[in-house]
Amino acid sequence: MDELTREFLIESQEGLDRMERCLTDLEGRPNDMGLLGEIFRSVHTIKGTTGFLGFKRLEKLAHAGENLLGLLRDGKLSANAPIITGLLQLLDGLRSILRSIETEASEGEGDDTVLIDRIKDLQVPSQAQTPVKAQEQAVQAQAVASASAVLGPVPTAAAPPPPGPKASETVAEPVAAAPVASQHVPAAPEAEHEHIKATVQAGSAAESTLRVDVTLLNRMMNLVGELVLTRNQVLQATASDPNMTMLSRRLDMVTADLRESVMKARMQPVSNIFSKMPRIVRDLSQTLGRRVRLQVEGQDTELDKSLLEAIKDPLTHAVRNSLDHGIESPDVRQAAGKDPEGTLKLRAAQEGSHVIIEVSDDGAGIPVEKVRQKAIERGLITAERASQLAERELLQLIFLPGFSTAAAVTNVSGRGVGMDVVRTNVEKIGGKVEIDSRPGKGTTLRLRIPLTLAIIPALIVRSVNQSFALPQGALSELVHIPPAQAATAIEWIEDAPLYRLRGKLLPLVFLDRLLVPDGERREVTDRDNFIAVLDAEGRRFGLVVDGLADPEEIVVKPLSSVLKDIGLYSGATVLGNADLALILDPGSIAMKAGIALVAEEENAPAAVGEDENAEAAKGLEYLLVEVSDRQAAVPLADVLRIEQLPVSRIEYIGYRPVLNFEGQLLPVEDTGGVLASVQSDPEAQIIVVVCREGNRHVGIAVSHVLDVAAGGDLFEAGAGQRASGVTLLKNRVTGVVDLGGVAPLPAQENAPMELSSVE
Amino acid sequence: MSTVGTALNRNKEKTTATLTEMCSVRVGPTMFGMPISHILEIVGSARPQPVPLAPGFVGGLVHYRGDVLTTVSLRQLLGLPPKDGPQDILVLENAGGCFGVLVDSVGEVLTVSSVDHEPNPSILDERRRALFAGAYKLKEGLLVMLDPMRLDPMRLGAARVA
Repeated sequence: MDELTREFLIESQEGLDRMERCLTDLEGRPNDMGLLGEIFRSVHTIKGTTGFLGFKRLEKLAHAGENLLGLLRDGKLSANAPIITGLLQLLDGLRSILRSIETEASEGEGDDTVLIDRIKDLQVPSQAQTPVKAQEQAVQAQAVASASAVLGPVPTAAAPPPPGPKASETVAEPVAAAPVASQHVPAAPEAEHEHIKATVQAGSAAESTLRVDVTLLNRMMNLVGELVLTRNQVLQATASDPNMTMLSRRLDMVTADLRESVMKARMQPVSNIFSKMPRIVRDLSQTLGRRVRLQVEGQDTELDKSLLEAIKDPLTHAVRNSLDHGIESPDVRQAAGKDPEGTLKLRAAQEGSHVIIEVSDDGAGIPVEKVRQKAIERGLITAERASQLAERELLQLIFLPGFSTAAAVTNVSGRGVGMDVVRTNVEKIGGKVEIDSRPGKGTTLRLRIPLTLAIIPALIVRSVNQSFALPQGALSELVHIPPAQAATAIEWIEDAPLYRLRGKLLPLVFLDRLLVPDGERREVTDRDNFIAVLDAEGRRFGLVVDGLADPEEIVVKPLSSVLKDIGLYSGATVLGNADLALILDPGSIAMKAGIALVAEEENAPAAVGEDENAEAAKGLEYLLVEVSDRQAAVPLADVLRIEQLPVSRIEYIGYRPVLNFEGQLLPVEDTGGVLASVQSDPEAQIIVVVCREGNRHVGIAVSHVLDVAAGGDLFEAGAGQRASGVTLLKNRVTGVVDLGGVAPLPAQENAPMELSSVE
Repeated sequence: MSTVGTALNRNKEKTTATLTEMCSVRVGPTMFGMPISHILEIVGSARPQPVPLAPGFVGGLVHYRGDVLTTVSLRQLLGLPPKDGPQDILVLENAGGCFGVLVDSVGEVLTVSSVDHEPNPSILDERRRALFAGAYKLKEGLLVMLDPMRLDPMRLGAARVA
């Protein structure tokens, strides 16, 4: 395809996207001249360029649309529902031809006469009788075009077509078209004004923005990743040379800025996909007979382009679901005492390193009882087990494959895609899906998407004498089993290794045995065993590795197809020490090892810790710690790692305890006086829980780490308000450590160089 | 690389297109040749990271200009025992990007004439016949010609499945 056609395709698609947005807006404001002008321009530009490029079919269709739009813009017709529907059909028609040009480099063989006739019929105001057939009208329009100066002002039923065709047929340049059109249309001077203004604006926007090929951006991202690695090595190599410190620190800063800028360049506002929703909502609510108001919030929230692409289908599906199964028909709503018009809310917001996208409706909610029945019917769960599940757990069943009635999976529009595909798609990009529903009140689907795919946090693990990266998105906890305990802690049913995690059997996968199936088998009692408890696409298992290294932010590099086909690795990365590491794909490992989906797994009669499990569903999980004889809780989601280290590693800036961790300073919170209590003994070991707080890391000094448990909400007596700062853990009221309360280090001192060790 | 390419083309024009510049490499006892016009770069003394469960011909991964390069091990392809210590890598281009070929060591560039070329002898086993593209009879001995296309991991992978 030549450059010109490509350019044309991109521009036209953007124009049509704009047109779609305007059309749905037009429904609410049918007389908005600005909107009509914008729509007219989109179609007009396409028509002008197609004539030039020789796409006849496209030109004819665009021409028909332009005639109708010309009438609308000139106020000769007003946009009613059938006209908007017709214009939307025109839009679809234009899109399908463009698509065919893109894929087959030709317009395709389709016949548009039906659509063109329809659009022509719409040009006749509905109250007036149709005096001429569509065919004749076209002929007449052409004849009129040459003599429009005479016919133009005569307001007969047959007259409306002239101004449009005249204006556009004579001049293809959009800038010039407006004045010509206005000559014949004294009725709409403001339209002309609008147009010129818009043209000027478009001009200035074109000067300050630039179209960039995505592959170039990917390449830049790759090179920046490379630069980050080189920087890390330079920093290590020059650490001891004082002359280089300033230089390498400057390199460090510039690299960080560059990385951020390139990542920003890949970001696009979510409005790019949100803007598709009004159309979907409009079409669906008409077919389904619903009345729906769409509210959109946080359109400016930005997300990496590839991620945006990836969530388009899941999001479309969620919106469809809300309309189809959530929001009731107007009379049902009225009977229930609700506003007959339902509300569908799309919300996007950034929370730390994630973007949250919510689709919520105020519909009927998900009938938990029906979910239970259907799950039993489909054999996803036994009746006995189903009766034990809490409501929230039952809701999660809709994400299981086989729950949805839909058969087909790959439909672009999202039709026929079950919720399991929504979950799989979101988890594939390292995101998470949650659902929350209250009967009669509505349903909220929450997608948690990482900001970028290219750089992900990962835990580096060791097995078969190699390093592997394990994405932290799937990791829920780590268990260490020293060789002495391995014989009893790891249990076997025949060949199947299992571990009792808080009373519940967790299937284990030995990474070394998986990777080297016929290698010599080391016994679990010969070595340290680390179990990484993983939740991947609904499969929960423990991956046993030989060792753990630090978590790292890794730059994901794609693998060649030969290695991708192995199915265990999702990519490779270069670690800070310049070693290569393969990135493990927890979902594929689970599949390869034959780990079943959680719900099936729970059919096993092994579930012992039932109560605890039900409790887990209620609220957030917390890390239960002991700080100088008192118990405290740290939200588990914020915990990065737990470090055990000699107290001598703690240094002080003034009175503030800090931990110099590989050149990065970690403020350590010691409200419980744990540090003071062991100060006299430099050999003493202390435990620091490293947490994420906003975009910084803080450490909490604790005496012991006790357990992980789910917290229950506590309500203040009488007030009915959720009490903050406390939670119910194992039936004890426990204070939650306020991570935000840990004072940041003074900015100037936030560099290893100025660290003075005062002991 | 492009300069080498044009130099080669010029050569061809002058000498009625019968001379080829070959990069000689050694794997085990054999000397192989690869047309230098196909070689993007030579990476010396690399230690590829093994990939568990990878097909037998994969020599591992190396870090190459910001990308992770899959390498094909000639030793493994030929069924030779693995070599201890670092190996040299010829970086070649294929449809999907680049790949590396692991060899014991890279030697000098030799100019060979098509007059000296002979097709694969029939006594070679099938595996070798599929990999080699004949040999050049040189004074120093035989230079076995390697066809970069036949070493493409995508192709080797497909052949393995078939």
